[in-house]
Amino acid sequence: MKPAAFAYLAPRDLDEALDQLAEHGADARVLAGGQSLVRLMNARLASPAVVVDINRVAGLDALERHNGTLRLGATVRQRTSELSPDVAAHAPLLAEAGAHVAHAPVRSRGTVVGSVAFADPSAELPTALLALDGRVVVRSRSGERTVEADDFFTGPFTTSLAPGEMVVAVEVPVTTAGTGTAFVEVARRHGDLPVCGVAATVTRGDDGRVGATRIALCGAGERPVRARAAEDALTGSDGGTDAVAEAAARASEGLSPIADCHGSADFRRHLARVLTGRALRTAIDRAAGEANDV
Amino acid sequence: MSEVVTPEKVRIRITVNDTAHDLLVEPRTLLADLLRGELELTGTHVGCEQGVCGACTVLVDGAATRSCLVFAAQLDGATVRTVESLAGADGTLHPIQQAFHENHGLQCGFCTPGMLMGACELLERTTAPEPDDVREALGGNLCRCTGYQNIVKSVCAAGAALATERNGQA
Amino acid sequence: MSTVEDRPTTATTGSPREGERRWIGRSVARKEDPKLLAGRATYVGDVMLPGMLYGAVLGSPHAHARIVSIDTSAAEAIPGVAAVLTGAQAAELVNPMPAFCAEPVPQTAVAIERVRYPGEAVAIVAATDRYIAEDACAAIRVEYEVLPAVVDPEAAMAADATRIHETLDSNVAFHRVLDFGDVEGDLARAHTIVRTRARWHRMCASPMETAGAVASWNPFDKSMTVYSNSNFHNFLPWAFAGMLGVSTNRMRMIPCAVGGSFGSKHFITKVLAIAGALTKATGKPVQYMEDRVDNIAANDNVGCDRIYDAELALAEDGEMLGLTLKIVDDYGAYFQFAHGQHGNAMAQPTGPYRIGSLRYDVSCVLTNKVQQGFFRGAGADPGNFVLERLVDKASEVMGIDRAEIRRRNFIAPEQFPFKTPPGNVYDSGNYAAVLDRALELAGIDDWRAEQERMRAEGRYLGIGLATCQERTGYNASEWWFLYDNPPLPATSTPESVKIDVDAMGGVRVEVGCPLWGNSPETVVSQVVAEEFGIDPADVSVTYADSTTGAMSAGPGGSRLTIMLSGATRGAARTIRDKMIRIAAHAMEMDPADVECVDGTFRAKGAPGTSMSMADIGMRAALFFHSTPEDESSGLVAVHTYDHPYSTPPSDDRKDMGAFYPMVSHACHIPIVEVDVETGLVTLRAYYAVNDCGTVMNPTLVEGQIVGGIVQGIGAALMEEYRYGEDGALDTPTFREYLMPSMHEVPEIVVEHLETPSPFTEYGVKGAGEGGRLVAPTAIASAVDDALKPLGVWVDELPMTPERVVNLVQGAGGGS
Ligand SMILES: Cc1cc2nc3c(=O)[nH]c(=O)nc-3n(C[C@@H](O)[C@H](O)[C@H](O)COP(=O)(O)OP(=O)(O)OC[C@H]3O[C@@H](n4cnc5c(N)ncnc54)[C@H](O)[C@@H]3O)c2cc1C
Ligand code: FES
Ligand code: FES
Repeated sequence: MKPAAFAYLAPRDLDEALDQLAEHGADARVLAGGQSLVRLMNARLASPAVVVDINRVAGLDALERHNGTLRLGATVRQRTSELSPDVAAHAPLLAEAGAHVAHAPVRSRGTVVGSVAFADPSAELPTALLALDGRVVVRSRSGERTVEADDFFTGPFTTSLAPGEMVVAVEVPVTTAGTGTAFVEVARRHGDLPVCGVAATVTRGDDGRVGATRIALCGAGERPVRARAAEDALTGSDGGTDAVAEAAARASEGLSPIADCHGSADFRRHLARVLTGRALRTAIDRAAGEANDV
Repeated sequence: MSEVVTPEKVRIRITVNDTAHDLLVEPRTLLADLLRGELELTGTHVGCEQGVCGACTVLVDGAATRSCLVFAAQLDGATVRTVESLAGADGTLHPIQQAFHENHGLQCGFCTPGMLMGACELLERTTAPEPDDVREALGGNLCRCTGYQNIVKSVCAAGAALATERNGQA
Repeated sequence: MSTVEDRPTTATTGSPREGERRWIGRSVARKEDPKLLAGRATYVGDVMLPGMLYGAVLGSPHAHARIVSIDTSAAEAIPGVAAVLTGAQAAELVNPMPAFCAEPVPQTAVAIERVRYPGEAVAIVAATDRYIAEDACAAIRVEYEVLPAVVDPEAAMAADATRIHETLDSNVAFHRVLDFGDVEGDLARAHTIVRTRARWHRMCASPMETAGAVASWNPFDKSMTVYSNSNFHNFLPWAFAGMLGVSTNRMRMIPCAVGGSFGSKHFITKVLAIAGALTKATGKPVQYMEDRVDNIAANDNVGCDRIYDAELALAEDGEMLGLTLKIVDDYGAYFQFAHGQHGNAMAQPTGPYRIGSLRYDVSCVLTNKVQQGFFRGAGADPGNFVLERLVDKASEVMGIDRAEIRRRNFIAPEQFPFKTPPGNVYDSGNYAAVLDRALELAGIDDWRAEQERMRAEGRYLGIGLATCQERTGYNASEWWFLYDNPPLPATSTPESVKIDVDAMGGVRVEVGCPLWGNSPETVVSQVVAEEFGIDPADVSVTYADSTTGAMSAGPGGSRLTIMLSGATRGAARTIRDKMIRIAAHAMEMDPADVECVDGTFRAKGAPGTSMSMADIGMRAALFFHSTPEDESSGLVAVHTYDHPYSTPPSDDRKDMGAFYPMVSHACHIPIVEVDVETGLVTLRAYYAVNDCGTVMNPTLVEGQIVGGIVQGIGAALMEEYRYGEDGALDTPTFREYLMPSMHEVPEIVVEHLETPSPFTEYGVKGAGEGGRLVAPTAIASAVDDALKPLGVWVDELPMTPERVVNLVQGAGGGS
């Protein structure tokens, strides 16, 4: 289990990185935390001719908040994000989901952006990004574009990134008072990818009715998916037990889950319903609470 | 699309267990293989090469790191510590090793270097770890022999021993 | 009641008695630790020889296919590649792998013409490093003609099923029905018969270190040196030599520190053959280490894979009368070890109970999967699962408390030695005491109250209970007695140590077994310390290679502590007696008046007159004229300890003989919580009471038990080989083949009771496998108990979230 040969490039700044990505196009892979890429390369499931290591690119490790947006640069480690007071306060869902990723030593190398770019349909962080209505900031030599999370994930391990492009950051709107979020999952072993996971954000209006709701699932499709029927069922309801049950029951509508040795498609549909119910209950409670306790 | 690139070796200056090395490495050489091969530090073990077992854990700039998921080429300027750095040349075990010895925290010893290095990182930042802290830090390290109970015990005991040692010095 | 006519009279006399012992029974810290902790032990992967090459294997992507062609030219052209061998080419260098079956199921380490399981080696490579070796594997072009894969063992039995081996008439490699006692009579007079169809699934030993070997062929003197993590270097080196095409007296096998085995590394024949073929092809030392995929997919380390149709017949009062077991065992594509695991199972199929009759109906079926090898439990694991499930079912059906029904049927202390229906003998035990202590230790009443409280909250807490025999110290007859005409009816499983006391009184012990994760250095040091009254820390222990070691079967079948203590004590006694004679001669006394106390040899009753170990060592080494006339120089003894008590099977196989008679016993009580919606089973606590005779070293025994229990937790909840319909292995890495981590393990409380074995030195019994033998069935019982309100019955493991949800839904519960 050893990687095939490749050329190693370690750009110092973003322009250099983008030039290299432009030059090598589809032959190149970005190396961030390496916690997925190196695994794939060891198994020769990926054999890029060129590896562009972005870990030394200046400025990509910024985690900052301005104008109601939290922005995580491409080399912000999962562990940093999870432990960041800013993230805890302003995007607690990201911290809660992040704590389910692998184990501390893996998270201290792995990056949030790397997980998003990897687009594993079972992964927690892409799902959290989707539930948070986040955006992916993409750069290439020809400029920058911002892609809605809804549009970024196109299939298993595939995204709307084109050759020559890389993700420089992800952005999420800060979670405001009155919005509750929750992430729950079932993994067969602590730290493993979940069989199914649910990220939910629920906003309660002053009238106590449920306003905007976003529910995203992992392990339930070829990419992180929204449970739109469940969202619709909950939105406008009183957020009570019956409403949550109704929404949960609809969480598996339209899903076409993957199946593997950890769970069949039917089981994942089942979990989607159960976990949606649990995530919604917690998110609704948190929305009603004073603070967004995690 | 580019033409095929011939991999060039990469120069790294890396400090391993307090010894500075100036090396030319192939880009694809994993840190685990550099340590075990060229540097002949075979105390670091390889169990899965997928990041899942933790046997290969070493400290890179103080952080517990799966050495099977890092290329040596990435480590120019880095400081690496492996299990060989723990015991004294006179055979004195490091307090963490001593705690594993006293609490029967190992059987075959294959997972042990990874456990020890993970514990080192933990005990750098936590003086009196609770069992749950140990699980958080070492939960990704698999052991097929011990059933973990004594490993958790060992790390907690090592925390206590190190705390005493530090207090004694203060 | 059956009796045992032929049991051994007694163990060697003069063992220090309990209470007088200084070192046996103490938690002496492990001698093995420092080098392991320091990263200084040499595992086989750490061996580096000048000019050494690295091997890699190209495995088949298909479960079943004909190899149409192999083109290795591109691979050979890669700089650094020294050899690329197809199966046919390897077969010119090494012989087929030794098989212990009578049936014609030939197997080569590298497939020739046909591949029969996914991952089977198709070509092997040696190169200057492993990266290049893998480049070469990637460059080999193989054309396959895919054949239908045989995956389901029951379907494989059909007459028209695709045949795995043309040399056999069917995929049923072996079938036999054995009746012991009056099975029909017991079924007829039964008041209640409980039945189950249970599945014991495929798992692998998965030691953290894979199997590996460094082989170095010397083409000039035709000798072969092999470093490996096998433990049979001092038992079957000649068999390996035969496979490698080396004369037995030119084969040297050197043991290394081993990163765990759990039964999987006895033979490692594939690995030896691959390294051997490559060193012969290149004339250079070659290291071949499996990577994890090689290990999971192709190492012969998977355990039993059985479907049981089982029934337990009981009288009205719950007395167990008879047991019938109809077993289909999926052996995979080859039959290297024949039905050895069923021989093993024959040691204790009726468990700790007085069950009078047994029907054992076994079919060993071949399919397109990697073949079975050995894994902790070695055949007894599934049997215990099924038996205890049946007992739980009987308890349920008959309304007898599950502890009570067990108590009523336990073999009583005064019935030992006890002869079981198939003929094996149990030496000693007190099963009711173990059960009672376990119930007490667990605080059952508190847990029942907690269960009530949680049920009111809609939560499901379960309390498990299972008991188990652990047959320890095997005799080789288990490998073959199911055959009427066995190909190799061997009966030896010896263990040897060599002790010498040098001129300065230093004690050195050389063991024939390797360091396999257990504690041979500590055990022999404790015994030597006991016998000489010295400190175990002062004993030095080394490992013999095959050119110096005497016969040693090494660890396996929970035998090592029994056998090592026997061998060490034998050698120590020989030397001690000689030292007494020399001392008596020097002190001009009768040897009968000299005793060895605290490392000095002194006149009984007059301790002032004494000689030290060094005094006698020097005298024996250099002062021939000052020793008794018939004594030779030096203080060296080799002692080979054979199986302490075994009898041959009867010719008609109505009685398999005593072959596994040191029988430990355990009762486990796990506490689980089941989330009925997600199917997650969480262990809340775990209690185990164990009786493995005299406890040699409590800390080490507890380590074995806890480690075994956690493997059992894996068996119960996580570990499983899964295959697709096309025979593809869906679990080839640790991302799919899941073993427990720290997070899945509760606090495990272990206690010991001691019923010494009358057959062994010091009364020790083994303890290596028990944890894994009990935990799976105990946890199944806990899940049943948790879900009792829903009426769930677990007869298949692992209890993955999906299986549990299906059980709950099948029972009409859940969402
Ligand atoms: C033992 C173990 C357990 C794990 N468990 C989980 C889990 O439970 N949940 C989970 O979600 N993940 C899990 N992972 C994977 C996770 O840890 C990875 O960190 C994550 O998937 C990838 O992040 P990375 O920074 O390591 O990216 P890398 O591995 O460096 O890259 C991953 C992919 O993304 C691409 N990429 C990375 N950064 C960029 C960028 N800026 N622009 C464009 N492309 C980019 C790379 O080219 C590559 O294709 C686990 C990993 C291990 C080893
Ligand atoms: S070898 Fe690196 S984690 Fe297993
Ligand atoms: S001690 Fe053997 S794997 Fe942990």
